[in-house]
Amino acid sequence: MDRALLLSLLGCVLAAAQPPPPAGFVGSNVCRACHPDVYLNFYKNPHFISIATGKQPAGRAGCEACHGPGAAHAGSQGKTRIPVAFSQLTPAQTLNACLTCHAHDLGKVNIRRSEHTLNDVACTSCHSIHHAATPRRLLAQPQAELCYSCHSSVRAQFDMPSKHRVNEGFMQCSDCHNPHGTFSPTWAMSQRPPMVEQSLGNEEPCIRCHVDKRGPFAFEHPPVRVEGCEVCHYPHGSTNTRLLRRPVVFTLCLQCHNGAANFGTRNNGVTPLSTIHNLLDPRFQFCTNCHVRIHGSNSDMFFLR
Amino acid sequence: MPKLLLISLLASASIYSQEVIAPTPEPVGPPRGETIGDYNITNSFETGYRFLLGSGDLDKYRADVNYGSGIRLLSSSLTVDSLDGHGHYFDKILLNTLGLGNDPYQSASLQVEKNGLYRYNLLWRLNDYFNPGLAISAGLHFMNTTRTLQDHDLTLLPQSKVRVHLGFSSDTQSGPALSSVQQFDATGSAFPVFMNVRRHWNEYRLGAEGEWHGFRFNVLHRWDYFKDDSGYNGVASTAFTGFQPNPFVPTPPGLNQFSRSEPIHGSNPGWFGNLFTNHKYWGIDARITYDSGRNDFALNEAAAGLNFGAAANRQIMVSGDARRPVTAGDFNFNLYPTSNLTIANSTSVHSSRIQGDSAYTEFDNGFGSGATMDFRYLGVRTVANTTDINYRVTPWLGLFVSYGYSDRLIRTIEGFTLSGPFANTVYQRDNHLNSARAGVQVRPVKPLAIRLSGEIGRDNLPLTPISNRNYQTLDGRADYRTRRWHLSAAYSEIYNVNSPLSISAYSSHSRNYTADASWSPAGRFSFDASYMKLHLDTVSSLAFFAGETSLQFFQGFSQLYISNIHAANLAVHVTLSRRASLYAGYAIAKDVGGDPVQSLFSSVASFPLTYQSPLARLSIRITPKIRWNAGWQFYNYHEQFGLTVPLQNYRAHTGYSSVLWSF
Repeated sequence: MDRALLLSLLGCVLAAAQPPPPAGFVGSNVCRACHPDVYLNFYKNPHFISIATGKQPAGRAGCEACHGPGAAHAGSQGKTRIPVAFSQLTPAQTLNACLTCHAHDLGKVNIRRSEHTLNDVACTSCHSIHHAATPRRLLAQPQAELCYSCHSSVRAQFDMPSKHRVNEGFMQCSDCHNPHGTFSPTWAMSQRPPMVEQSLGNEEPCIRCHVDKRGPFAFEHPPVRVEGCEVCHYPHGSTNTRLLRRPVVFTLCLQCHNGAANFGTRNNGVTPLSTIHNLLDPRFQFCTNCHVRIHGSNSDMFFLR
Repeated sequence: MPKLLLISLLASASIYSQEVIAPTPEPVGPPRGETIGDYNITNSFETGYRFLLGSGDLDKYRADVNYGSGIRLLSSSLTVDSLDGHGHYFDKILLNTLGLGNDPYQSASLQVEKNGLYRYNLLWRLNDYFNPGLAISAGLHFMNTTRTLQDHDLTLLPQSKVRVHLGFSSDTQSGPALSSVQQFDATGSAFPVFMNVRRHWNEYRLGAEGEWHGFRFNVLHRWDYFKDDSGYNGVASTAFTGFQPNPFVPTPPGLNQFSRSEPIHGSNPGWFGNLFTNHKYWGIDARITYDSGRNDFALNEAAAGLNFGAAANRQIMVSGDARRPVTAGDFNFNLYPTSNLTIANSTSVHSSRIQGDSAYTEFDNGFGSGATMDFRYLGVRTVANTTDINYRVTPWLGLFVSYGYSDRLIRTIEGFTLSGPFANTVYQRDNHLNSARAGVQVRPVKPLAIRLSGEIGRDNLPLTPISNRNYQTLDGRADYRTRRWHLSAAYSEIYNVNSPLSISAYSSHSRNYTADASWSPAGRFSFDASYMKLHLDTVSSLAFFAGETSLQFFQGFSQLYISNIHAANLAVHVTLSRRASLYAGYAIAKDVGGDPVQSLFSSVASFPLTYQSPLARLSIRITPKIRWNAGWQFYNYHEQFGLTVPLQNYRAHTGYSSVLWSF
């Protein structure tokens, strides 16, 4: 009770410190009377800064910054709808409302062409401004759970024996993805995969952590640079160890190294095996036993050291 | 008190599934926190003991799960918020930790913020990684390393028109490992050697962001340093005989002494610039990055042993450097002619030029085999343009179409010399990809959303036989969401055919079916279930040599790989009483495979296995500020193929008992 009184007084002080709002705007303090559950926790919300700084005009501060001028709504004691009620907005309207302020965030500059926007996934599909499960980024649920609620097949991949540790809390989806859209992935052929966040050098996000694979190497394994890591690996999870696309190493390698014409950097096929490789001998079935520097080597063009 | 209970119940009702048993996500302490002076504080700490009882291949368990026994600070959370947004030194502190005290996955995140003055973010993570040299995929390579990552970001004047960014990131990997080397001859005799992994990467960032006449721009410079000082040594090893002796090598070579040092030190300094503006009818965002990577390296390797029964020694020295300047730029132009229509055009350019020379000197049994120098250049230049049109026809119907074009030029120069100038050979490869997408979103009633989309792409000259060439995708999703129900079903298909010639037949066809249901009928109960079928079949042509008495070359050997995974999740959360709540879950991934024939050289290859994990947790509120929790999770990994290597099956009971408290 004391806390409520303190906050009420605080609200009055803040309201008194501000210049009178323009016509149609009533100020957030008026909203508090009917929406105390929201207002009493609002000082914890990142949006509270619009009030706290005291520098924002009425249309960009507090409740009315997002919900529009509230005079009519308050005057009718809630019988008329607030001008911007997010539950009633279309996804595009929601996006436009949030971008009024957030359009200038560099992480959101591609939101207009993001997969989420194209598929009608609006800001409020993931963010809960007043009942967030996470104080950071105001997500409606913890991040992995939130993403899994639509991307079930990805959840299944993270439940497999070999996986990146997202469920364990070591990583988050946003370590590799930008849910607000990304620039074209030009480390590959730029069309796919969508929504994968580049690292600063326009490289795949994998090398943010796997820095030893970054190079440059005197002898690069060209597919790593031309097609990306996922040409051999599943990025989320797999039943195969080391997230490989095939469970047996030599079958993975031989899919490309079959000498078929018109492939490879020389246009005459990706080099097939030499005659010393008798694949009935198990030692040759584990290609990376000898070709240890398969991501790139400085000392050997066949990645042997 | 009823209000507190209601909030607690609502919080717990929103919990759906949880894939690992701990930490406990139940709320503890007063939901609104406690006010001390000008700040409000909420906090929780969970301390407990984890246990592990396992059987079977526990090395494989460590590779997959790795939770052990011992006392942990399973999680902690602290938030401090100033009541009026005018704190003296700070207005907000957020601190969260996970798994501290020897869990294999540990993290801590901290955010400290003072409105208008600064914002500081720290993310620290530790991953205890264990790889036991898994027999199917990895062969001999063992690894037991720890990777520590940390990111620090400080923004000065975060709410002003001019901001300053400072950052530091670090990535350290260290620990023992076994690597393998091939010595003395070309028969592929690999010897395991001990490797002490020491890799370290640091990055420093300094940037600024500003606004001018409606344009926001950002410039950032980063300094990046990498070094790999991993050392190798091995003594008195014997020949690696593998699982079956090579019929063409009657006396396998033997390695008695080996040492190698190959320090690599490099840096990737770079610039990043961004320009952005947005108006009522149009917007522009553009960026450019430039990176000038360079690695300097040297290798010194000495080996002594037997080669076909005779004493042999070899010394190798390599030195050189590798350089990679990368320039990338993106320019997006958005048009919003009406409130229902968005047209976005994006142009991207990426150019990377990798080159380096590697000078190689070898002495076999004291005789120099000469010095050689190799030079290789790999240049990749990609230009891409995409146009997306998103049109909202009516509030319940939306359409989008997209067209993309990419052009990529790959240029290689390979040079080799014994002495004198390089004799360079130049190769060039240019390919184009055209792709088109279309989609529709329908919302016939408010809770129901239906989305359909498809893409088709054509690449005239992909680099590898497994790259996308003639591909098509199909995606469909139906979502029904109400306050208490969430039902969804989705289908996703990717089909790629890449077989210009018969000997390189390749096609990959993946089909994913998913169905989900979540139900929260009341605050006391929630239910979440999902089923996924992930089907992949890949036909590929393999070319290889094989034979028991004489080698034969098999070309165009067509192999069908089938992965047919059924996966399911189930989670139930029940509030048993005002004090107790129960959570139960189950996850299974089962690859049922295809044809039962099991041979590495079978025309059909499949690797059926089952991985499942039931879990249960009981949480009891002792006082409003203390909860006691206990949980159990079982992991069962069961391979059903077995081929030429032992099965790696394991069963592991893990669990914990903890106290979750707030003060």
